[in-house]
Amino acid sequence: MKEEALKIINEVLAQGRKSLVEYEAKQVLKSYGLPVPEEKLAKTVDEAIKYAEELGYPVVLKLMSPQILHKSDARVIALKIKDEEELKKKWEEIHENAKKYRPDAEILGVLVAPMLKPGREIIIGITEDPQFGHAIMFGLGGIFVEILKDVTFRIIPIEEKDAWAMIRNIKGYPILAGARGEEPADMKAIVDMMLKVSQLVDDLKDYLKEMDLNPVFVYNEGEGAMIVDARIILK
Amino acid sequence: MEKSRIVEELKPFFEPKGVAIIGATDKKGKVGNVIFENFKVNKEKGIFKGNIYPVNPKLTEIEGVKCYPSIKDVPEDADLAVISIPAKFVPATMKDIAEKGIKSVIIITGGFGELGEEGKRMEQEILQIARENGIRIVGPNCVGVYVPETGVDTVFLPETKMDRPETGAIAFVTQSGAFAAAMLDWAAMANIGIGKMVSYGNKLDVDDADLMEYFMYDDQIRVITFYIEGVKDGRKFIETARKVTPHKPIIALKSGRTEYGAKAASSHTGSLAGADTIYDAVFKQTGILRAEDFEHMFDMAKAFAKCKLPKGDRIGIITDGGGAGVMASDAVAKFGLKMAELSEETLKYMKEKFPPHAVAGNPTDVVGDTDAQRYKIAIEAFVNDPNVDVIVVITLFQVPLLDEMELIDILAEYAKKSDKPIIAVAMGGKKTEYYAKILEDKGVPVYLTPERGVRAAAALVQYVKYLEKLKE
Repeated sequence: MKEEALKIINEVLAQGRKSLVEYEAKQVLKSYGLPVPEEKLAKTVDEAIKYAEELGYPVVLKLMSPQILHKSDARVIALKIKDEEELKKKWEEIHENAKKYRPDAEILGVLVAPMLKPGREIIIGITEDPQFGHAIMFGLGGIFVEILKDVTFRIIPIEEKDAWAMIRNIKGYPILAGARGEEPADMKAIVDMMLKVSQLVDDLKDYLKEMDLNPVFVYNEGEGAMIVDARIILK
Repeated sequence: MEKSRIVEELKPFFEPKGVAIIGATDKKGKVGNVIFENFKVNKEKGIFKGNIYPVNPKLTEIEGVKCYPSIKDVPEDADLAVISIPAKFVPATMKDIAEKGIKSVIIITGGFGELGEEGKRMEQEILQIARENGIRIVGPNCVGVYVPETGVDTVFLPETKMDRPETGAIAFVTQSGAFAAAMLDWAAMANIGIGKMVSYGNKLDVDDADLMEYFMYDDQIRVITFYIEGVKDGRKFIETARKVTPHKPIIALKSGRTEYGAKAASSHTGSLAGADTIYDAVFKQTGILRAEDFEHMFDMAKAFAKCKLPKGDRIGIITDGGGAGVMASDAVAKFGLKMAELSEETLKYMKEKFPPHAVAGNPTDVVGDTDAQRYKIAIEAFVNDPNVDVIVVITLFQVPLLDEMELIDILAEYAKKSDKPIIAVAMGGKKTEYYAKILEDKGVPVYLTPERGVRAAAALVQYVKYLEKLKE
């Protein structure tokens, strides 16, 4: 867990970088048993085609560059790619977009990922407070965090009861609990993720500055959750 | 930190055997004179039982009390030193204090860290002397300590300008000296008893965590209140608060609710984590009750100081005015509490004894022609009803047939013998204020509006729920 994560972090630091690209961040998360999709980093378009075939279409392409933290803004994500032909086209497109967005962008590769089944979106985040140390944030994703700022914080490390309290604390809780005939979300999976994140951050607190797991798809009770995108910023 | 250590270390601040006042003077109105006077007057009144040793090389006596040229010359029983001399002389004085063996020091003097580099350097020098010699420091740049029960009063604002509150079960801790003075003055007027007040200014040594730990072991204190601007050691604060809140409620008022650092953050989380959000998290995690404002803090504190803890969140309301009952019911909903569903027996009991126009229910309205006995019937019924956890009694003292003193005695009697908290609400003017004070002196907290009374009840419930969660 810690050794594996540290190895990735140290490699990034050795390259003079402070932020992990999504692929690296997810490897760190994976080493702590957090749920990340089966993804592969392709250096060439042929590699991407190979990985897409292994995963099975449709797939997602995400260009990895330390200079591009906001991938949607830079339009370097291509969703729902249905075959090889489209993949080739999108490969070119996202590389061009990257160049337009940041001509100096260093490209580490392109993440080939399966198209995930949508779920209710949550966000789990980490920030460091100068007085109290690292804090964990929980909230619903999308507009709930962007506009309504419906989030709650606790100081790391947290216990299981803290995680439950955080989930129940947000105003959007009924959306997770299952409002209007919807099935309840897999709350245990959220609690499990939060405890693992707490452990991870406690272990790596000397290195981590900020972290966002955003969005995380949470499925119905018993069906788990999946981290769709992740960002880690080092001190 | 084991009990004996913190209690032993801080005890002389609150009950010194002998106090040395370094910088005491006979010049009226000077800080060193006001502090000396405070102790002297309290000694004359028989409240302060220790000895007073003014220290000033230029004087041989102040108002008939022997004055010593140096701290080194004061008798051996001095265990607290209060310093009010210019900042530049403080480091040397600290050395003398260390040599003398005094372990508790209140540095009133300002002009240290808050003024810049030289001040910070002096602070570090002082702190080093303290650490090397096991000295604990309150301050510098503070008004120090006020303990009405033992007569310790280093608040350098004279009694002619600032009233002192009576003794009580509330501990109040604040960084700001101005706030401390204003609060004490106000508490005196609002009839809020303060057990111990500490204003620690620059917080060079003794901090929030030390004090909350001390107050946890202090039998006089039932509730600890903090006015917080910032915390130095966040981890220590959290750990100590976690240790204390299962034993005593802590209430905090945090200033500076604006967000900082948000611009620098590059992640979502970073941009949402303002200082205030983090404090909210700390308070939730440690069970500290957060006060919205000054008034709220003392409304809550008063309830904890005077009431027993409820078993649950079901509120029963008794009133002699319909409107006030509705306001209280609204507040019950607003603060997330429940209206108690009275048992059949309770309703039957009240209906049998009430005249037909009085309303048995929740709220129970004993109506405007009530006397104290009708209130008694309702209170008794509510006390005996297992469906009621907290009783809010709205007493509009203005109604003509009500004997105020009789009602006060009834309320005080049930507040004492029932295991349920009883909270009184008295709306009105001067006459109401007069009776409210009597009622509070008899141990029942009184609030000026139904909303404030119910909000105080909500704090009791919130704390009880926290305690229950700890047991899970």
